[in-house]
Amino acid sequence: MNRWLLLAVLSLVAHTAHATSIYAGQARAAAVCSQCHGIRTPSNDSVFPTLAGRDADYLKTALEQYRDKTRKSDIMNSIAGSLTDDDIANVAAYYAKLKP
Amino acid sequence: MKTPTAYTRLTLLAAITAVLLPLSAAANEAAFNPHQLYEDNCASCHGSDHGGYLAPALNADTLKGRSPTALRTIVMAGSFDTLMPPFYGKLTDDEIRGVIKHLQSTPKLPNPPFTIDDMKASLKVYVSDESKLPEKPAYAIDNMDDVIGVAARGKYGRGEGSRAIFINSKTHQKIGEVPTGTAAHIIDYNPANPRWAYVKTDTAEIFKVDLYSMQAVRSIKTGWNGPGMGVSRDGKYIMAGSFVPHNAVILNADTLEPLKTFELEGIDPDGKQVSSDSGMIIGTPFADIFAIALENAGQVWVVDLTEGFPVTRITDVGRHLHDAFLTHGGQKLMIASYDDSIVAAIDLKERKIIKKLEAGCVPHVGGGSAVVVDGRTLGFGTNFGDCDKTVVSVWDLDKMEVVKQVPVAGGTESPAAHANAPYVAVDIISKDRRARTIQLIDKKTLEVVKTLDVGGHAYFPEYSADGKFLYVSAGYNGDEVVVYDSTSLEKVASVGMESPAGIFSHGRVRYMTRGLSPDDLAARDGGLPGAKK
Repeated sequence: MNRWLLLAVLSLVAHTAHATSIYAGQARAAAVCSQCHGIRTPSNDSVFPTLAGRDADYLKTALEQYRDKTRKSDIMNSIAGSLTDDDIANVAAYYAKLKP
Repeated sequence: MKTPTAYTRLTLLAAITAVLLPLSAAANEAAFNPHQLYEDNCASCHGSDHGGYLAPALNADTLKGRSPTALRTIVMAGSFDTLMPPFYGKLTDDEIRGVIKHLQSTPKLPNPPFTIDDMKASLKVYVSDESKLPEKPAYAIDNMDDVIGVAARGKYGRGEGSRAIFINSKTHQKIGEVPTGTAAHIIDYNPANPRWAYVKTDTAEIFKVDLYSMQAVRSIKTGWNGPGMGVSRDGKYIMAGSFVPHNAVILNADTLEPLKTFELEGIDPDGKQVSSDSGMIIGTPFADIFAIALENAGQVWVVDLTEGFPVTRITDVGRHLHDAFLTHGGQKLMIASYDDSIVAAIDLKERKIIKKLEAGCVPHVGGGSAVVVDGRTLGFGTNFGDCDKTVVSVWDLDKMEVVKQVPVAGGTESPAAHANAPYVAVDIISKDRRARTIQLIDKKTLEVVKTLDVGGHAYFPEYSADGKFLYVSAGYNGDEVVVYDSTSLEKVASVGMESPAGIFSHGRVRYMTRGLSPDDLAARDGGLPGAKK
């Protein structure tokens, strides 16, 4: 029984490690998101929300909604449209891990 | 209060209607002044005369044939890998369209004036009685040389994020923030009194800052745009120069009152009489003088700080001069010429050119660096490398000859060195992933030994006054200053701020040029006023 549990945990860890890459997320965030949202914080003078430290699942859902246009924003619909599933997972994992 | 008349009530109603109702573009254009929008949002980087400054010129000529839609996208979303921020949410779509239309139909303005009377009128006093300021720093610090100042541009080159931020370089904690309204560009320190710093912005405003109480006590606007500023060795004068308009001014460093202005013009190396941007301005521990570069005229002027501030003109120095650093106790000036790809060595005593040295490609020496290795004084010069020659030039400053051109990963903008640190740090600025990095050159082998991935657009490295830490701005979209141990190159701290750029150690007033030891200098040059005995 314990062996099965260990195996399950291990496979979950392995799966997570494979699915998201903080480093890939960092590169994508620097190229796509940080222009407006900053890395740790956006400009005080801007209207853009902070992404650093936000819940990864929330960021992932929001980006998916922007991409499939169930959530409307001219600028975000077009930017999220350029992201793959992996990009979204990586960027969400990266920003979630940062301290604002 | 006056009772509103029927007429003003009608006007008010019209104004409210104008805000509430969706209007045609034509009606809305009257609601804002596009030139004012340009001045308030764009001119601090693109130039008040539409002639370009840190950022490209925006006028009828340079934007001819450009698609308004493409320009609108750049304004809305910003431009990747540059300082251009996204104006989405800051300007309305109609305003953006209006500004673009205005820019595509406006010629470059001919050198808009900013006179000594304009300067006098702009003088602001925030602390009227300086005798009531605290007598020592209001925070814990071992030595004022441990202060490091960072010119935080602010994402929009103005606003809340635009500040001079001061850090204790031993604890890496912020000790003060002075808002500057527009992007801070240069921070200089008074060599005679450690409490005063001077911050110049891209809109040519100079703030006199009290480092003990961490506040601005006075400010003056010296032009429309331009970062050039120097402080005299006795701490009594400031000289400031502008890109727009083409002039310079000497100020009383205590009161910031303007004393004399200079029209920057002269005959360039090709024999043409030209009006010129101000390049670097430097005070030297060697004498009571300022040296100022006339960028387009290719001249260096030496201004004596005596009655009437007489000028000695050194001509034919090089095409498109920019920045410089001092060596030999401040007697020799090494000045970069962008278009000739040389650094000219000038003797400030004889007031003549000693030699022109090869300097890579489009040399931008930043603050320059010089280190003493095995009895030789070696100077380090960075260059933009626009013509693919991406090297850092190393010169023997005693013999005035090229020692080596060290290949680096890309164009570079500023070298940092310290007598106690093993490496000379240079910032790679080429517009791709390389812009995230800093390369370290071993002082002895003159080879690149390490590349640091700092993030953002990493630039303007600077060592702490004790040489133990290397500070780097992760600027542009980055929003932190990253601190490394100078020897192990491990990251030790991060200090958050908006779009940090130039980093200026208070120690600079003692070692004159980064990398020189104040003790060596004092021994060799008979004791500099700025050097600690």
